[in-house]
Amino acid sequence: MAIDGTKIVHAVMEGSKIRESKGIIPLFGVYLSLLSVEYYNNLSFDFEEKMGKTREAEAEALLIEAAQECGYATFQGIRNSWEWEQIVSPMIETKEDQILGFAAVAVAFGWGDLEVKELVPGEKLVIKVGDSYEARGYLKNYERTHSSKCYMLRGVTGAFMDLLYGEDYPDGCFDFSAEEPFCRAKGDPCCEFIARKSSCKKNT
Amino acid sequence: MIIFDWQHELNRKGHRVAISGQPIAMHCHHYNINLQKTLEDTLGDEGVQLLYQSAEETSYHGFQNLFNQYKKIRTIKSKLELAAMLYQNSGLGIIHFQRVRPSGARIESPASHHVTGWLAKHGRRDTPGCHFTRGWIAGTLEAIYSLPCGFYTVDETKCKMKRDDECIFHVQER
Repeated sequence: MAIDGTKIVHAVMEGSKIRESKGIIPLFGVYLSLLSVEYYNNLSFDFEEKMGKTREAEAEALLIEAAQECGYATFQGIRNSWEWEQIVSPMIETKEDQILGFAAVAVAFGWGDLEVKELVPGEKLVIKVGDSYEARGYLKNYERTHSSKCYMLRGVTGAFMDLLYGEDYPDGCFDFSAEEPFCRAKGDPCCEFIARKSSCKKNT
Repeated sequence: MIIFDWQHELNRKGHRVAISGQPIAMHCHHYNINLQKTLEDTLGDEGVQLLYQSAEETSYHGFQNLFNQYKKIRTIKSKLELAAMLYQNSGLGIIHFQRVRPSGARIESPASHHVTGWLAKHGRRDTPGCHFTRGWIAGTLEAIYSLPCGFYTVDETKCKMKRDDECIFHVQER
């Protein structure tokens, strides 16, 4: 495992300062935007509120699904990009190293301090995040809650496994799904995401 | 805009990224458009309003904060220039403020992240779809004119998501 996260962070920071004439940032094979975390948190938590108590589970599932689909397409684009080829590929020794590369990109994007705690190839991925912007944003505006709130990172954790161990792209999305048993929004010291093979795959 | 150095303003401390001290996250068109579609499909007009309001509140607070930091940016013209530059440097596209008055404005956008992203993922749509940009414009102008958040309403009369030549926004008092 020889992924140097600082190299990836540096590439993202430098690349995100370069935009083409239309004000679009094409980086790592996707179009990047730099937006306040307040915007994303408002969207997610206001959406939940609007859906109400009776549709709480549906709101949660939709937000996770949006993130997992995004993570699946985004990181597929990222791992096929020129930047990945130049910067990350030389550091990859095993298939599993890709997950470390993905996590380093997520850190570079400002999603939190992701740390891969455990990876059982084809079976299980555990990611720990001490400072997710979702949990931080939730605690800024709401009281401590009983349910986990990091929907984006939960979807993305599932997407990481989909890309490595799911069916070939684009048929592998939702082959895995993730839970967030610990979340700072619930008062836990950190957020933890565990992705496992989906028991019942959602049709895309 | 010499006093605002973008290279310096976009920075990070460890895993946190910020623009002028305000925490940001980098997300790509897949996520932004997925969120938009999820909200529109699930909540209809309420979802559209939520997208608009979230963008409005965020840009309102962001620019209030920025203008407090940079007291030398005083004139409406320089504030509009800064706003257009920030929009572009944040990867959101190009925005031209035209005929801007405290009572209203006309704004053109020949290119945008949300348009590019929507067309790439879903192709042409039948209704205007730049809800984020509408909200962003409202919040930005409210902050520039020191008006309360929610003062303006912004309509999009032409939209590149519908294959119009550019996006046109009209701003008026609510």
